[in-house]
Amino acid sequence: MIFGPKTRLIVVLCLFTNAAPAAAQPAWGLLPLMQSLAQVRTASARFTERQTAPILRAPLISTGTLTYAAPSYLRKTTLTPVPEIFTLDHGEVTLAGGTSGGPHVFALNQDPRIAGLVEGIRATLAGDLPALDRFYTVSMTGSEAGWQLHLLPKDPSLAHFLRSITISGSQGRIATIDTESRDGGDSLMSIQPGSVNDAP
Amino acid sequence: MRPKILALGLWLLILAACGVIAGRTSYRTNMADFLPHSASLAQQVLAGQVSGGAASHIVLLAISGAPTPVLASLSQTLAARLRQEPAFLDVINGDEPSFAGVQNYVWHNRYLLSPTIVPASFSVSGLHGALANDLALLGSELGLAMGQSLANDPTGEMLRLLDQFGNGTGPTKQDGAWMTSDGRSALLLLHTAAPGFDLDAQQQALASIGDNFAQARSTIPGAGSAYLQMSGPSVFAVRTRDTTKQDVTRLSLLGVLGAAALLAFAYRSPRVVLLGLLPIASGALAGIAAVSLAFGFVHGITLGFGVTLIGESLDYAIYLFTQTDRGEQASDTLRRIWPTLRLGALTSIAGFSAMLFSSFTGFAQLGLFSIVGLIGAAATTRFVLPHFVPNGFFAGGAEPIAWPLYRLIRHRRVARGAMAVALLAAILALFTHRGGMWDDNLLDLSPIPATTQQLDQNLRHALGVPDQRYFIVFQAADAQEALQESEALTPTLNGLVAAHQLGGFTLPSAILPSEKTQRQHQLALPDATTLRTNFTQAAAGLPFNAQAFAPFFADVAAQKAAPLLTPADLPPALALQFDSLLVHHGADWVVMAPLRDVIDPSGVAHALAAAGPPGLAFVDLNQESDRLLRNFQSQAVVLAVAGSLVILLVLSAGLRAPSRVLAVAAPLAAAVTMTSALLTLGGAKLSIFMVAGFLLIVAIGSNYCLFFERSAPGTPGWPRAMASIMLANLCTVAAYGLLSFSRIPVLHDIGLTVATGTFLSLFCGAVFSTPAVKEVR
Repeated sequence: MIFGPKTRLIVVLCLFTNAAPAAAQPAWGLLPLMQSLAQVRTASARFTERQTAPILRAPLISTGTLTYAAPSYLRKTTLTPVPEIFTLDHGEVTLAGGTSGGPHVFALNQDPRIAGLVEGIRATLAGDLPALDRFYTVSMTGSEAGWQLHLLPKDPSLAHFLRSITISGSQGRIATIDTESRDGGDSLMSIQPGSVNDAP
Repeated sequence: MRPKILALGLWLLILAACGVIAGRTSYRTNMADFLPHSASLAQQVLAGQVSGGAASHIVLLAISGAPTPVLASLSQTLAARLRQEPAFLDVINGDEPSFAGVQNYVWHNRYLLSPTIVPASFSVSGLHGALANDLALLGSELGLAMGQSLANDPTGEMLRLLDQFGNGTGPTKQDGAWMTSDGRSALLLLHTAAPGFDLDAQQQALASIGDNFAQARSTIPGAGSAYLQMSGPSVFAVRTRDTTKQDVTRLSLLGVLGAAALLAFAYRSPRVVLLGLLPIASGALAGIAAVSLAFGFVHGITLGFGVTLIGESLDYAIYLFTQTDRGEQASDTLRRIWPTLRLGALTSIAGFSAMLFSSFTGFAQLGLFSIVGLIGAAATTRFVLPHFVPNGFFAGGAEPIAWPLYRLIRHRRVARGAMAVALLAAILALFTHRGGMWDDNLLDLSPIPATTQQLDQNLRHALGVPDQRYFIVFQAADAQEALQESEALTPTLNGLVAAHQLGGFTLPSAILPSEKTQRQHQLALPDATTLRTNFTQAAAGLPFNAQAFAPFFADVAAQKAAPLLTPADLPPALALQFDSLLVHHGADWVVMAPLRDVIDPSGVAHALAAAGPPGLAFVDLNQESDRLLRNFQSQAVVLAVAGSLVILLVLSAGLRAPSRVLAVAAPLAAAVTMTSALLTLGGAKLSIFMVAGFLLIVAIGSNYCLFFERSAPGTPGWPRAMASIMLANLCTVAAYGLLSFSRIPVLHDIGLTVATGTFLSLFCGAVFSTPAVKEVR
């Protein structure tokens, strides 16, 4: 088993953000959004993901936890239906779990497709606009209370299968990540604010 | 006049025969041919690999001097251009086409290649496990990327194989191209079509890289300041050849001009200056012919180095021409000096004869070359040269050149004291010298400058090209048996990797499994109906759409019926690698599999010896080359010592009196001692080339000492004898002294050693060998 009993105990707490007090707020826009996202140093949450794909007969619903530590650590622990741990740490991705034997390790700088997918999420969490800009054409709609960040892939090999990523949220908090693929598949991840004892 | 015609006729006949033999000789440059006959299989195969193996095809490129995005587009433009050139098997710069060949091969043959293709993988439970794993992958953050191939490859063979093929190793990518981590240089790795030893083809390939880079640079804005650096075995080889050519041409030309000017001044006859080349030219031709007849081939090193070794034959002519007195016939002079000349030549021949018994083919060839060369040169001097000297020839300018020598000999009591002090200091310096006298670094022997070696190491490190140190080597009767044995070793090696005794390994069977294994894989793949039935049952309860997996069914059916893979199916980069892992050596097939990051060499060696086929060797390349080098060094020393002893014997036989032998041998010993002390004090470490240089000092210096010892000051022939020695030494110092300016370590070492040593021989011989003035004879 990959999960010890301890990690199974998920304690739901409030999402804590170290956001600066709302003093002298500039007009709302992409840069202020990035700044407020960058204020978050650590965060953890539970997620529910609903996935459709041509190879799936029915939508795949998976649940698990997310852990983030600024600026480059991200862990996605899928608990149901099949356990799997995805870890990003300093540019290296590890996939562990499943039934395929040993963990698979990928270096982000080796594959622009994996790098694009992962950076889309990590750079958003970190409020790292230059990194987002490298892989995506970035635009924003909405307001501070309800914003949407639209990412359109630049790299042809990434755009070959990824249509777009749309991230929505309010203030410095992310609510959903919607990933649309070229083949008509779609993945909508909803993030419930909460903290888990799943710290890095 | 009869003997003259006979001698000239015979000489021309022999020269013609030697010329014919030399013309038909095969000249080899492969280092393997220079090694001892007794070299181990591993040493022989490795030496062959160095000059012709996969590693010799590698060219490493770095583009620097511009902002990262500009470097990236330069890299891409250059790669695209070079991929059009037939001179390159593949061009890897980190972009997608870089890996397309290998990825296509793996993708299209994954069911023949993957080690996990067994019947159980395609049973209902096997497929169910695979599909459950696919759900996990889909749920991960990489689900979208991974999901792309699931319809073809639900059992995840590709992911497993890419791990095995070392996918995901290499430098970081920035803006779509490989970069150093600081983003200051774009990196490319090329494989040339021609092997490393085909220097002409390599030179063309390198020139084409340079041209294409220049053109790529001119098309990209802001790239004007960018520059290209190249490294790799072929770059070294071509550059060494160029430098050698340049150095040899430039320095030899200067040396020849200097010596010719001296000789022209002394002889006052251009014709006689040219005549002086006859002995060495005839000797070299005879040497080539003899080596070719005895060994079947002549090594490049023998040719280049051998001519240096018989350099003393240039002196033979000098002795003859300079010692011819006013009104004397050259043939009379020759009769007068012949006993000394003959003893000098015999001494050198004796010194070189020790080399004949070396187990290094190269040494043995050099020995034979110099023996035959010197005999040929001496014979030419004796029987041919006098006939060409113009009547009444007198080297009018020789004596003025020799005045320093006259003065030195006049004050030789004082000089003897100075020499004794210098010798004592030299002995003291050698005894108190701290640290190794020997140069143990193989790289120092390589003709490549240290900065170039550093660039190569940096590029290799940045590109992740592993330093191959440890190898498994074993033999098999045919290629299929070799592949099967390689497959049988896989579990043991995997176990060692799991136990962290080993970082990784590359076996030929991972690139191309044996036919037996491929057939087993095809048998393990179910037929179309069974696969569909099993798949439908396996997918029950999972949210998969079985219809979407038609590509999987089609791929399995296709590979079940496909013809088996052969080496011809490999993409160029893999074919090259495969050929270096499985080598056709003589009648046998040899597997040479590199091991990476060996933590516990003896543990790995034991585990492999227990598991592997009989005769499996675990080879530490560093140890092998160290052993080879030590062997080389100790042989060089043994040969030098043996050579010196034989020289003493010959001198004793020729001079008969021990006091006379001492008068000739002692100054030579002193000169060699002082030379090695000077070289050591100058910071140089003794190399095998210097030992060869010492032998050369003794060969050339013994002639000086013999002439010194033979004529007392004040006797009639004395001034001209001294002038001939002085002239000979000046020419030698000019020629070898200029060689010491060469950038090629061999030439530099030999040049410096011989120039210093022969000058010291002249000095020591003059003050020590010269007999006391005899008033009455």
